[in-house]
Amino acid sequence: MQLEYPPIYSFPPLYTRQPNKIIRTKQIESWITIILDLASKNKLWTISKDGTIENSLNIFQNNDIGRSVPPLFIVEIMKIMFTNGQLVSKSDKKSDFDSDLSNEFYILWKPIESWGSLILEWFETSNKMNQVVTLYELGEGDESIGWEFHEMPAPLLVKSLKNLVSRNRCTLIKDENDKYIAMKVI
Amino acid sequence: MGQKGSKIKITETDRAVLELKRSKDEIHKFTKRTDQLISSERSELKNLMKENPRNYKENTKVRFLLKRIHYQEHLLERASDQLINLENMVSTVEFKLIEAHFLKGIQNGNELLKKLNREFKNLDEILDDVQEQIAYQNEIDETLSHSLAGVNDYEEEIDRELDRLNKEVNPEQTIKLPSTEGLASLPEPVHKEDLKDGMPSQKVEKVPGTEAVLLS
Repeated sequence: MQLEYPPIYSFPPLYTRQPNKIIRTKQIESWITIILDLASKNKLWTISKDGTIENSLNIFQNNDIGRSVPPLFIVEIMKIMFTNGQLVSKSDKKSDFDSDLSNEFYILWKPIESWGSLILEWFETSNKMNQVVTLYELGEGDESIGWEFHEMPAPLLVKSLKNLVSRNRCTLIKDENDKYIAMKVI
Repeated sequence: MGQKGSKIKITETDRAVLELKRSKDEIHKFTKRTDQLISSERSELKNLMKENPRNYKENTKVRFLLKRIHYQEHLLERASDQLINLENMVSTVEFKLIEAHFLKGIQNGNELLKKLNREFKNLDEILDDVQEQIAYQNEIDETLSHSLAGVNDYEEEIDRELDRLNKEVNPEQTIKLPSTEGLASLPEPVHKEDLKDGMPSQKVEKVPGTEAVLLS
């Protein structure tokens, strides 16, 4: 993966937990911006608890300058992202950061409500209202190419759609194995 | 839309469309996979040819690979045909659903029209009734106007009586009257004869009236 990083990514103090609280807040903000930007530009959806994005790249480890963020500080950053709603658990069960067992999170560079709205917009513009649409069609189909949610992992799509369900705009349909496979949006 | 409590229903047709779409998705997945397979096999083939630039035509693996690629391409073509078929099917079904909606709308409209027309059925009866009522109203009006005429007569009587009383109460006026009557008396007889018969009779009526007052 050839990824582009902002200049601050090569700034060594970024990798040391800053003792001053105000500076540390800024530092964590920078980290969050780096992660969310990187994820949205390259469509990276998952991050594990130790900061490995899409099972291949540890964002907190910079080999170019030979620096890495200490694990405890990684947890601190991830925890803040979790409470900000910028990370969401992979499992369906609602849980807090520490008790989450899935060990992997989805990166939400957009809040879940915005994803829901974007999907709703797709339904409206592509004339799919009041029709059954499969999850595959929504996420992988040719008709959603060019939309930001294209190639979004199916469970995350379901999470976004559940937001639409709570807004009474959507019904999810399960298959015979009790797995979500389709939806109908009005 | 969007109101609380309004659950979106999944109908039988929705389920059927879903099945169609699922098979469509399967084919879509298949074409994607085959596409990838073909491109990877092509690059493999090229590599093999690069490795054996002289005897690649005799290499069974090269031949096999190319055959495989052709076969996969053939499959891909068929799959995309099927995909188009299914897509057409889905859109046809969706259009049919809209047509069904249209039919339902027409039926509802027809039903409503029938109902409304049924209400017009006793139109004749109502019109007759209205006519009757109008006639009756006219009758009432006539009767009323009659009785009103009666009231008028009565008022004339009152006027006359008041005149009489006036003469009684204010005798000076009666004294003054002769002078005016005297002036008018000359043309009066001429008028009386020229005018309708009713006029003199009225005068005649008045004359006994005054007498009656005098008598009482």
